[in-house]
Amino acid sequence: MNTPTTPPPDAPLPWASGPYSIKRHGVSLTNCDSEPVQTPGCIQAHGALLVLRLSDLTILQVSENSVEFFGETPKALAGRKVERVVGAEGAARLREVIDRAPIERNSLHAFTLPARGAAGTLDVCVHRVEDVAVVECEATGRGEEGAAVDYFRGVKAAVGQMQAANGLREFCRRLAEEVRALSGQDRVMIYRFHADLHGEVFAEAKREDLAPWLGLHYPESDIPRPAREIFKSLWIRPLPNAAGPLVELVPLANPDTGRPLNMTHCALRGASVMYSEYLANMGVAASLTLPILRDGELWGLIACHHYTPTHFPYQLRAACELLAQVATLQLKSAEQSEQLVYRLRPEGVHQQLVTKAAQDGELMALTDRQPSLLDAMEAGGAALYQLDRWWCVGKTPEPAQLDALAEWLHARPDFASATRPVFVTDSLARDYPASASYADAASGVLAVPLSRARRDMIVWFRPETIQTVNWGGNPHEKPLVTGPHGPRLTPRRSFELFTESVRQRSLPWSDVEVDSALRLRLLVMELVVARAERLAELNADLTRSNEELDAFAYVASHDLKEPLRGIHRYAHQLLESAQTLDDENRKRVEGLMRLTVRMDSLLDSLLHFSRVGRTTLEFVEVDLNEVVEEALEMVGARRSDGTFTVAVPRPLPSLRCDRVRVREIFSNLLSNALKYSAPAPPRIEVGYIGPEENAPRPNAPAESAGHAIFFVRDSGIGIESRHFEQIFRMFKRLHGRDEYGGGVGAGLAIVQKLVQRHGGRVWVDSAVGVGSTFYFTLQGKETRAPA
Amino acid sequence: MNRAPAATILVLEDCDEDFETVLDAARLAGVTYNFRRVTTGDECIAILRDCAQAVAPVLVLLDLNTPQGDGREALRYIKEHERLRSVPLVVLTTSANPRDLDFCYDCGANAYHVKPVRHNEHLRVLEEIFYYWLRAVALPQEQEALTWKGNSPAPSV
Repeated sequence: MNTPTTPPPDAPLPWASGPYSIKRHGVSLTNCDSEPVQTPGCIQAHGALLVLRLSDLTILQVSENSVEFFGETPKALAGRKVERVVGAEGAARLREVIDRAPIERNSLHAFTLPARGAAGTLDVCVHRVEDVAVVECEATGRGEEGAAVDYFRGVKAAVGQMQAANGLREFCRRLAEEVRALSGQDRVMIYRFHADLHGEVFAEAKREDLAPWLGLHYPESDIPRPAREIFKSLWIRPLPNAAGPLVELVPLANPDTGRPLNMTHCALRGASVMYSEYLANMGVAASLTLPILRDGELWGLIACHHYTPTHFPYQLRAACELLAQVATLQLKSAEQSEQLVYRLRPEGVHQQLVTKAAQDGELMALTDRQPSLLDAMEAGGAALYQLDRWWCVGKTPEPAQLDALAEWLHARPDFASATRPVFVTDSLARDYPASASYADAASGVLAVPLSRARRDMIVWFRPETIQTVNWGGNPHEKPLVTGPHGPRLTPRRSFELFTESVRQRSLPWSDVEVDSALRLRLLVMELVVARAERLAELNADLTRSNEELDAFAYVASHDLKEPLRGIHRYAHQLLESAQTLDDENRKRVEGLMRLTVRMDSLLDSLLHFSRVGRTTLEFVEVDLNEVVEEALEMVGARRSDGTFTVAVPRPLPSLRCDRVRVREIFSNLLSNALKYSAPAPPRIEVGYIGPEENAPRPNAPAESAGHAIFFVRDSGIGIESRHFEQIFRMFKRLHGRDEYGGGVGAGLAIVQKLVQRHGGRVWVDSAVGVGSTFYFTLQGKETRAPA
Repeated sequence: MNRAPAATILVLEDCDEDFETVLDAARLAGVTYNFRRVTTGDECIAILRDCAQAVAPVLVLLDLNTPQGDGREALRYIKEHERLRSVPLVVLTTSANPRDLDFCYDCGANAYHVKPVRHNEHLRVLEEIFYYWLRAVALPQEQEALTWKGNSPAPSV
């Protein structure tokens, strides 16, 4: 505090010891928050005030300007009956109003006192406070009766306008316009208090040439707590000449009770020096303020400013009061319809988001499409954690900062709550100091978890308040005038002070927004669950159809084999009765039998092939040397009679694979190598190429890179390159049925399927007359070099 | 032969050719028992229900895939029935489905054979079955005390 008038902090409060008068004692910046604004001891000098004992209407206190209005000094009036001022008729009227009208907390116009001498025509209003009647007299402001404004018509039109308004903002805009039309003030603002009690010019009607203040925010301190409190119990606060003089009551205390007069409901109540100075510093000469309440709480104010001193006659005040009361009554429904709109908007946008995500099958749609997570929420940025990474939109912290924040969030019990899993703050740095470095982007945080297991979440960020709102301090850069309290009582200065108090803070999240975030969470989770269910269904379908296929293959094979067996049997019997057959026919019957046997093995191969694709593999660590040994045993290559050689020049590695299936791969390849041999005795080699080894890999597909490649090489007849693809097709044979030991042409097809089931590839390199090499990988699994 | 000739071999087989092969094999193996053929699982169970009161067959040959209550049901009935449980039961089927194999052994089948397509092999499998189950293997003695009152004629051996 840098103002010279500031008393030391421990100075006694001027109102702590006896009756107080703002005129005499003043007020300072340190004690203004406890200033007795209800008992200022003074009134504004444009009116006169009488305090009457309720029982006999004896004058107890009089404003010191009584000569000006009534022609007599306060001393002369003290202890006299009120008739002395208002006459017998006026006294009777007062008595009647006091006895019959509800005038507690509500000043009522009793009568008009005709002009007498220097004083003009006076409006006489009266209200009750405890055991006294307070009589306030002000100039009517009407030169002649005929010039009277028709306030009734004005109010009626205004109410109609307001009722037709759609939504809260429109309602307030019309209210401001109607009040301005009625009062003729230079500027009428609807000033709305936020949850943190700072205020915003929510609607405005003004003289054309004035700069708009619409949308400006003002710190809480600009309307101190006592002022806010007093507005809960009165309907109007006129200050027609803010810089005008104040007059004291004589005496300051009620002689009956010794207490100062409670002036809460006095239209003439003297304004706090702080307030009048603040207005003066903005160049405002007159103000009229009316509260708008909601549920007994101060929702906002109708604030009228005039740049020259003015007059607020009783009738005008009554008309404005009526409008303020209508506003208070209608506010709730206007606000509810506004809230409904506000609640429906995110709801609609969120529905769209989820629908889009459902179509795309990906939640990322929430951040990279229109609308996005930012469209429903008033936030500066949003981040979605999904598939182990952040998807951001708008202004958010860095991914590393998000990771740390997520870690911190997951440790919080409120984030894991079963009923309302949400974290919400308007000052992240207060709860989580590590975030101070990015408070500009993320002072406000609203976060909901999407999945506990995968740590998925949605987080909205709201920037520091300073960054977002249009502070009232800015347009008031240069104080117009500076009163005795220095530059403190200017919007600019209070803005600077308030800047400190809103550092690292955002505008608070509303209940509507928190609820909306929670509902979006449910929608997203439903979507995720629905997708999981769909996947489970598909899996079940797949399993079922696999089982059905399996059963079908067996049934088909069974049903085909039965007649085959019968045919073979009859052919056999025909052959048995040898005498009925000549050599020709015997050959035919033998052919018949051979065909049935071949058909039998075709069916077996088909069945086997169809099962290879569907049975579950069993991955274990397998020593491939053992597997090759077993495969050689199976194809009879160990019973070497010297007509061929099988070499395994270096030990094979161990590998995670399905032992039985890999043995089948080797046995099929080895059996082919033996079968398709040139006239010379075949030399067969089984080996591998390590992933890092520098060795030729002819025809190797790209997918084989980085994996061990196994091979079976023969010195056989070889294959033309145009057949390299076909040989892996089911039942594809390159040679006559009975050449090279026959066979059904299933071996390589089965090899390919088994290799593919391991995630690997199989291919061939061959030259006719030189030999073939079959290569394959059992991809994806690490190979270990043999010990 | 260590069994009374009156005793019977029960065969569930819906395919005529395959039943003929059974009889051929029995002839070759010198089996002297009567054969009682049924073609559906239901019929098989009905016959066994009668004989459960009196005398049990010495051997049951079951095909699995037969109409109207298949061999599986007959198998389950036999192995769940106290007095029939110890009768040797041999499954003879074209199905090589491991599920069938598991099922039959789970139910207590004594052996499971896939019928070969080659007639010679088919005969040999059957002859081995007859040899093993009617001569080689030792079975509970009480079986012998029972008398088969089946009325089907013995095959003309």
